[in-house]
Amino acid sequence: MTSTDEELVARAQGGDIESFNQLIVRWERPIYALAYRVIGREEDARDVCQDAFLRAYRALPGFKGQAKFSSWLYRIALNLCRDWIRRQRRAPVSQMPEDADATELAAETGPVESIEDLVARREMSAIVERAMSALSEEQRTAIILKEYHGMTFQEIADMQGCPLSTVKTRLYQGLSLLRRHLEQEGQLTAELVKRV
Amino acid sequence: MSDIFQCGDEGALVAYLYDECEPHERETIAAHLKRCLTCSSDVESLSATRRTLAAWTPPDMALGFQITRPQEVGPAKVLERKVPWWSAPLPAWAQAAAAAVIFAAGLSLGFARTGAPVQAPSRDGEALTSQSRPTTPVVSRDELAQLEQRLKAEMAQIKSAPMTPVATHASSDDAVMQQVKALLEQSEERQRRDFTLRMVELAGNIETQRRVDLASVQSRMGQQQGVIGTELRQQREAIDRVNNYLVTVSERGR
Repeated sequence: MTSTDEELVARAQGGDIESFNQLIVRWERPIYALAYRVIGREEDARDVCQDAFLRAYRALPGFKGQAKFSSWLYRIALNLCRDWIRRQRRAPVSQMPEDADATELAAETGPVESIEDLVARREMSAIVERAMSALSEEQRTAIILKEYHGMTFQEIADMQGCPLSTVKTRLYQGLSLLRRHLEQEGQLTAELVKRV
Repeated sequence: MSDIFQCGDEGALVAYLYDECEPHERETIAAHLKRCLTCSSDVESLSATRRTLAAWTPPDMALGFQITRPQEVGPAKVLERKVPWWSAPLPAWAQAAAAAVIFAAGLSLGFARTGAPVQAPSRDGEALTSQSRPTTPVVSRDELAQLEQRLKAEMAQIKSAPMTPVATHASSDDAVMQQVKALLEQSEERQRRDFTLRMVELAGNIETQRRVDLASVQSRMGQQQGVIGTELRQQREAIDRVNNYLVTVSERGR
């Protein structure tokens, strides 16, 4: 039977390292994805992810369960991302290759997805990444937490330390800005046409 | 959100978009969207933007973080990343074993190269090592004793022999010098002859090549002249035809 986060946290607080390792296995992908989308660099995102778990482990005795473990972990990771951005003092840089190598892509294709589909998906991902990098850090983080991590407005507000209305404004304005960027890229029109 | 929805309320539209509003609020906004083209197109384009965001996937990165507790360090904890077995560092005992194996292999190789005896575990092994090692002559104790006696006898003869006069040595030195000079002269003569022969051979080769090139150039020139001659002939014929035509036309005109 799978243990809950709370059970694993309790065992880890009692000195069971393996329980904490189970929490890492459970959350390392989402935390890495968050870090990557916020800061935009693979290696740095991995470092942030690793650092987040290390800090969480060290701070575990002080975790009283006021919030969900995942929210607490997200907050740690987000703070590290903010620190990273402050250190870098620049917008996230897209690492997507301009031209996808067909050979590399062929190796990545699954049994169902064709190379053409994979190329299209990679291109689309790069376009979205570029558009996201044009947003402010707050707007980008709000959209990432909402879209990719399914947080509520209130959770985002707690995470970002701002009023609920500010989160909504950030989301609305961020999405509107994204829409304009994607329209410029000619992607949103296609999406709307597809929808119709 | 207030109960009365105002057109263009960004917060309310976002709440509607993410379905994070009360049911009655949602109904109010939905009713408004049916009437208001601006708000409905706004919500529709934001929905399309959200769908596009699904395409953004982070790269697949090998993670596998793990908290470990090194025994040597004691209570301190270290966060490590799992690495594949082929790139993971070997434990100390494995490194020591590998070093011992490499040392033993190098040692045996060194013995084999220097001809030192190698203990082979089997008959086949012995055969292989004996083939690979240089063969050394086997000398018996009796042969060594005979050699010693012969050396002693020769040493005694040398001691008992009369001293050779210095003049003899001098005369033999002159003879040697003359022989050396003769050899040097012969060598120089041979080198001169070889050099001359090579030069003659080289000159012959150059002359042959020159003739071949000349013949080739003449052949090409002939071909070119033939072509030019043909063209000239054709041009003359064409001019003649034109002249004839002009003459014919002028005669008709008269």
